[in-house]
Amino acid sequence: MRATVGAIGMLAVALVLLGGCSGTQAPAASPPATAAPAPASVIPAPQPAPAPAPEVTVPTVSAALSANQVPASLAPVRIRVEALGIDMAVEAVGQTAENVMELPKNPAVAAWYRFGPSPASPAGATVIAAHVDSLVYDIGPFARLASASAGTRVVLTLSDGSERGYSVTGVQSILKPDVPWASVFDRSGASRLTLVTCGGEFDYEAKRYLSNVIVSADPLP
Amino acid sequence: MHKSLTIGLTAVSLGAFVALAGLAPAQAADPVAKLSVFHGVPGLTVDVYVNNKLTLDNFKPGDLAGPLDLPAGTYTVAITASDAADASKPAIGPVDLPLEAGKDYTAVAHLDAAGKPTATLFTNDIGKLEAGQGRLTVRHVAAALAVDVLANGAAAITNLVNPKESVLNLPSGTISAAVAATGTTAPVIGPADVNVAEGTNTIVYAWGSLTDKNLALGVQTIAGLHSNPGSIPAGEAGLVATNKPADTTGLWLGGFAALLLALGTASVLGLRRAAARR
Repeated sequence: MRATVGAIGMLAVALVLLGGCSGTQAPAASPPATAAPAPASVIPAPQPAPAPAPEVTVPTVSAALSANQVPASLAPVRIRVEALGIDMAVEAVGQTAENVMELPKNPAVAAWYRFGPSPASPAGATVIAAHVDSLVYDIGPFARLASASAGTRVVLTLSDGSERGYSVTGVQSILKPDVPWASVFDRSGASRLTLVTCGGEFDYEAKRYLSNVIVSADPLP
Repeated sequence: MHKSLTIGLTAVSLGAFVALAGLAPAQAADPVAKLSVFHGVPGLTVDVYVNNKLTLDNFKPGDLAGPLDLPAGTYTVAITASDAADASKPAIGPVDLPLEAGKDYTAVAHLDAAGKPTATLFTNDIGKLEAGQGRLTVRHVAAALAVDVLANGAAAITNLVNPKESVLNLPSGTISAAVAATGTTAPVIGPADVNVAEGTNTIVYAWGSLTDKNLALGVQTIAGLHSNPGSIPAGEAGLVATNKPADTTGLWLGGFAALLLALGTASVLGLRRAAARR
């Protein structure tokens, strides 16, 4: 009798730990891959009456300087997730020579990868990351991302003062060697938001977490 | 217990990986050649025939067409007046364009230095760029002698002649670009702001005719040459770790399970002993 109770207890403990390690809190409903939309400036070549007509229509644009340049991006400067008590300033960062995204030391400050898409970009993933903890500053607000669930609302404030709302579609914890970085930093496909921090097990000798917690969110209409 | 837990964890991780990998199409090796066409002959609307087939109808000066995905091979391009019935009387060409798979080209119809219509095939540099870098390609396809290209007032490219190009990788950002006769700084084109975007080859064409006072800049951009970060180390203290120091979850769980089992067994045995004593 007691043995059975003990076994159930063990199972419960194991399940809780399993859930905690894997971090698959919400249904991992990734947004479906969408084909990259044609650039807005591409207009089909006009096809007036005179014959002969070409078999295929080749997209043609004006090459004028004013019409054919990549617009400067609009930086996110603040991130809020009210349901999780997150309200942080966002800094624009790049990456180191070792291809590591630069993050502010303070886990209470988030970082936006400035060479990738911004919330105002017509396509691709805006990537915002923050330390989950620090030996100096303690635990950061992004530690609570792991408990986000589908539908959790995220609001970004941009450098022009405007706001963009997003709705969480999935939270995943992925072992670092398995993180598909090309997908995380994808500059094509639907406009979306990706939040990244660390989590899972910790290597106490190397002082590093073994997983990244990755939150996907789609823009609210 | 330990084994099945490990398998469970791996399966969850794999599932997450597959789900995320589904976000973007895989970047497969490109078996085709990409060809764009820039029209830099002022005042002449044309038709472009590729292998005797009309491909661009009523193509206007200053316009850019493509890119077309084409199987590797040699293509014959003829450029005619826009009212031509076929490619038999080209104004430019026919020229043979040998296109290799995986490469990116721009065929440019333009004036030579003396003002005569011609065509040049350029191979676009689509090599990967380091993070924070943009690539600026400047092509001299105008009826003009050698030029210098000034970036923010200083000569960045000198003695560029028709139909040559110069390619620079530089920190991304907007530069004020101007074109001057070589050795001078008085602009014949510009100055104009050019956004040398990160991870992008920004190709600037100086086209038109100095004599006819219709020199202009055209721009073509090829994006997707960027490098992504390969990691985000975002924690250093282990304060939210799912494991304890100097132990792995599996071992810890295993130990915990063994402890529980031992306790359980002890209790049961104790109960039995108690029962037996009665």
